[in-house]
Amino acid sequence: MASLHLSGIEKSLGGNLILRGIDLDVEDGQLVVLVGPSGCGKSTLLRTIAGLEAPNAGRIEIGGRDVTALAPRDRDIAMVFQSYALYPHMKVRANLAFGLKLRKADKKTISTRIKEVSEMLGLGPLLERYPRQLSGGQRQRVAMGRAIARRPAVFLFDEPLSNLDAALRSEVRVEIKRLHATLGATIVYVTHDQVEAMTLADRLVVLNEGIVEQVGAPLEVYQRPRSRFVAAFMGSPAMNFLSARVEKGRVTADGLDLPAPEGAAGGDVLVGIRPHDVSVAEGDAGGATLRVEVVEAMGFEAYAHGHVGGARFVARLEGADVKRLSVGDEIRLAIPGDAVHLFDPETEKAL
Amino acid sequence: MRRWLPSALAALALAGTAGGARAQERSVTLWHAYGEEEAAGLRRALDTFRREHADTRVDVVHNAFGAYASKLESAIPTGHGPDVFIDAHERLSVYVELGLVEAMDPPDFATRLDFFGAHLQALEVDNALYGLPLAVKCAALYLNEDHVTDTPRSLEDVERLRGDLPEGVWPLVYEAESAYWDAALLHAYGGALVDEDGAWAFEGPGAETMLAHVVRLTREGVVPEEPNGDLVRQLFASGQAASAISGPWLAPALPSDLRWRVVPLPRVEGAGGAPMRPYVTVEGVMLASGARDRALAQELMQFLAGAEGSLPRAVTGRQVVASRTAWEDPRIADDVFLGTFRRAADAGRIMSTHPHQRMAFEPAEKAIRKVIRGDVGAGAALAEAHRRFDNVTRPPPPERSPTMAVIAVGLLLFLACLWLVRRAQSAQVRAEVRASLPAYKYVAHAFVAVGVLVIAPLLVGAGASFFGGRGTDMHYVGLANYADIITAAGGGILDHGSFWLTLLVTVLWTALNVILHVVIGVALALVLHRPTMKLKAPYRVLLILPWAVPNYVTALSWKGMFHRQFGAMNAILEGLGAEPVSWFGQWSTAFGANVATNVWLGFPFMMVVTLGALSAIPKDLYEAAAVDGATAWQRFKLITLPLLKPMLAPAVAMGSIWTFNMFNVVFLVSGGEPDGSTEILVSEAYRWAFTRSSQYGYAAAYAVLIFGVLLLGTRRFAKRLDGMGDTA
Repeated sequence: MASLHLSGIEKSLGGNLILRGIDLDVEDGQLVVLVGPSGCGKSTLLRTIAGLEAPNAGRIEIGGRDVTALAPRDRDIAMVFQSYALYPHMKVRANLAFGLKLRKADKKTISTRIKEVSEMLGLGPLLERYPRQLSGGQRQRVAMGRAIARRPAVFLFDEPLSNLDAALRSEVRVEIKRLHATLGATIVYVTHDQVEAMTLADRLVVLNEGIVEQVGAPLEVYQRPRSRFVAAFMGSPAMNFLSARVEKGRVTADGLDLPAPEGAAGGDVLVGIRPHDVSVAEGDAGGATLRVEVVEAMGFEAYAHGHVGGARFVARLEGADVKRLSVGDEIRLAIPGDAVHLFDPETEKAL
Repeated sequence: MRRWLPSALAALALAGTAGGARAQERSVTLWHAYGEEEAAGLRRALDTFRREHADTRVDVVHNAFGAYASKLESAIPTGHGPDVFIDAHERLSVYVELGLVEAMDPPDFATRLDFFGAHLQALEVDNALYGLPLAVKCAALYLNEDHVTDTPRSLEDVERLRGDLPEGVWPLVYEAESAYWDAALLHAYGGALVDEDGAWAFEGPGAETMLAHVVRLTREGVVPEEPNGDLVRQLFASGQAASAISGPWLAPALPSDLRWRVVPLPRVEGAGGAPMRPYVTVEGVMLASGARDRALAQELMQFLAGAEGSLPRAVTGRQVVASRTAWEDPRIADDVFLGTFRRAADAGRIMSTHPHQRMAFEPAEKAIRKVIRGDVGAGAALAEAHRRFDNVTRPPPPERSPTMAVIAVGLLLFLACLWLVRRAQSAQVRAEVRASLPAYKYVAHAFVAVGVLVIAPLLVGAGASFFGGRGTDMHYVGLANYADIITAAGGGILDHGSFWLTLLVTVLWTALNVILHVVIGVALALVLHRPTMKLKAPYRVLLILPWAVPNYVTALSWKGMFHRQFGAMNAILEGLGAEPVSWFGQWSTAFGANVATNVWLGFPFMMVVTLGALSAIPKDLYEAAAVDGATAWQRFKLITLPLLKPMLAPAVAMGSIWTFNMFNVVFLVSGGEPDGSTEILVSEAYRWAFTRSSQYGYAAAYAVLIFGVLLLGTRRFAKRLDGMGDTA
């Protein structure tokens, strides 16, 4: 296991600048998740770390070693691909042993490692099968097993759960977390799924159009987003944004009147409020009035879609509150102070 | 109403006479395979005939020479053939055998007198006359007047020209390796290929002396090596030969600025001054079977062969006409060219019409080539040729009664019907069949097409293998053909021409070719597949060209390149300072020449298949392997190759079958040389069917055996394929 250090990574593909100067530090044993929308460059970054792409500029260090100019095979990394990339003409056992054989490990080591990995991932009954005889989830585990058997310095996961169905996804997600705890490995994990990002990451790296928007612990990124992009990206349904003014200690907009956070400067702002942070207010209290248009009731909770003033707004309500609601109703929403995020309307950075 | 009656009656009468007139018009169809000049002469003769016979219609069809015989064979029996046709006399016996011609009404005395007895005899079989002689053809000596002024009086005089001629000019060019052309010399020494009874006569002191003489001509550089008709023509026409032995067809091919003349073939000092006596071909107009109007047909025949029809053929067509009366005309009698060839024909020998005559050429030529190459002495070569001749002319197996076979087949069919009925009784089977009926409807027409185009000919061919004999004279012989082939009757198991030796050569041929195809094809595909490769598209096109060019064109080009004296290969070798190689002189180099040609033809197929297969391998497998620690070579060996194998397998299977049956290359490039040792099974089968006089049954048995070998081979291959397991 080792640390990973990236500085100033730039990469163009086909004339387009994909990565525009990425700096990143991953400590030994950390699980770092690279998350972002499609086309933000997260897979490219991962492949650059792997050595499958060569950066136009920048340095990559693994365990203190400069590997920027090294071929993938010399970087001591293992990768789990989105499509699993299992060798179809080899049985599972041979797939697992492939990397070890290439490094001229002796038979005993190979069989010991295979045994370990099979037990860890439950691959025992699958060892004599061919990949085409396995289900998606089983193939996924074999792909992970192949990486684990190598005991590399850094693991790279490229959207490994994207090809699985929803139920399997949650299962394997938990397994990955458990594995990380067991192995204590340094993992760089790429996904576009926020749930995976939030639940797996020790540190979260949000990427947008080739630059790092924010790095931090998942909870911190969620609760204290440093830009509108991060705020909107994390959390589902997405954060609501309203144009407002800060004046005399209050944040006001049409249908909105809240106390301003401490130290907020006056002027035009962009207010961000997560749907999950609001609740139905008692009586006339509350900071916002929601004109309900659509109600999505899920039993224990419900989403009320509508407008606050001129801005669209989604509120997450308790299942019970929704029973009395109908389209066209106006409700008062209570919004706690720490749920109010202010952004500069031009730079879109947090204030 | 009555006013239109007379006009109607008149119209009717007119129609009646017109129809009657058409009904009265007689017609006759004539086929020929003449070249331009001769066709022009024929046309003028026919124009005269038409003028003199206003109520007849004469249709003329010109055919290409190469396919002429087969066209006659297929058209006449089905009634689409000519009424009369022009052909060489030596083919007559085959035509009689095949029933393509019918005897004429015995001609009157005057007609008989117009021809030489020998010429008429040439068109007789079993004392029945099938046609009338039109012209005679034989070889004569062409002299290039720039190199030769005095007519050489003997062959040795011609030989002595060597040394006096400029560099690069041959004293004599002729097809010295052909038994047909060497026969003139053979006859001078008192020898012959076969005697009148069709027995082998090409042995003894006369034959051996002739062989020694031909060897001398070749070794001392009097005649070029590996000659063929084209080469003879080219060398003489370009002035690179002082003399040439050829037929009248050479004259029209010579440029007008070449100074040449023709004389009859010279004498041979070594034969005590005896003249060279070439084979003479009597060209006749023959009466086809089923001629519609026999009287008219024979009238046309008599006209063409007689003096009136001969004049234009001699003057315009430059033919040495057979009609004696025609020669009284000064226009013909004073013609030096025609006169020379007539004198040459007088000195020649009319080729025997015995069927064995035609079968003697192949063994004789093999012997001549062997002796020229110096492989064996004359005596041994002639003995081997005799053995070959006996093998080819041996009588077909005795007729057997087909009763046993008919009973056996009948029994099998009966049992098959029983089994079908039993199965049909099962309700489950009936239900299954009913359920699949719509499917059968979709497939029915395909079944019919495959059945008619593939299965039926296969069965007919397999059926033919149970019959022996020649041409249309075949009788049931049971398994005798197979027995003959498998026990290599007529020679030892591993002698030349034996099934087993040929099988060995064929297997070696297939293996070597397929290995080279795959190695070269895969290597090129790997190179073309690299994303960094520029100009991929043009390279792909260029590399597919060898496959796209018709393979017989390629085969003939390569054959030319391997010519001992004039080929590009030896030119390159000599340029590099190496000795020129007699490519078709020994087995290894002849086989190598065949392999080189076929590899050139075959690698694009493997390349294209591999390119496709490479595209089907997902890129991320290579990336995973790279991350796992594989070098480029290891990625090739452990990922590319194993994933290519199952995709190449069907291509290799097909390629093997095609190569196993690659007739064109073997036949056209090495032609089986040396001495039939590079023949593969299909080319051997071809020779049995078409050059060794229509032994169709024997050749069919060969074909069935080839089919059997291939079937066995591909089944074993398929079993190995299953063992490989497919990939997802």
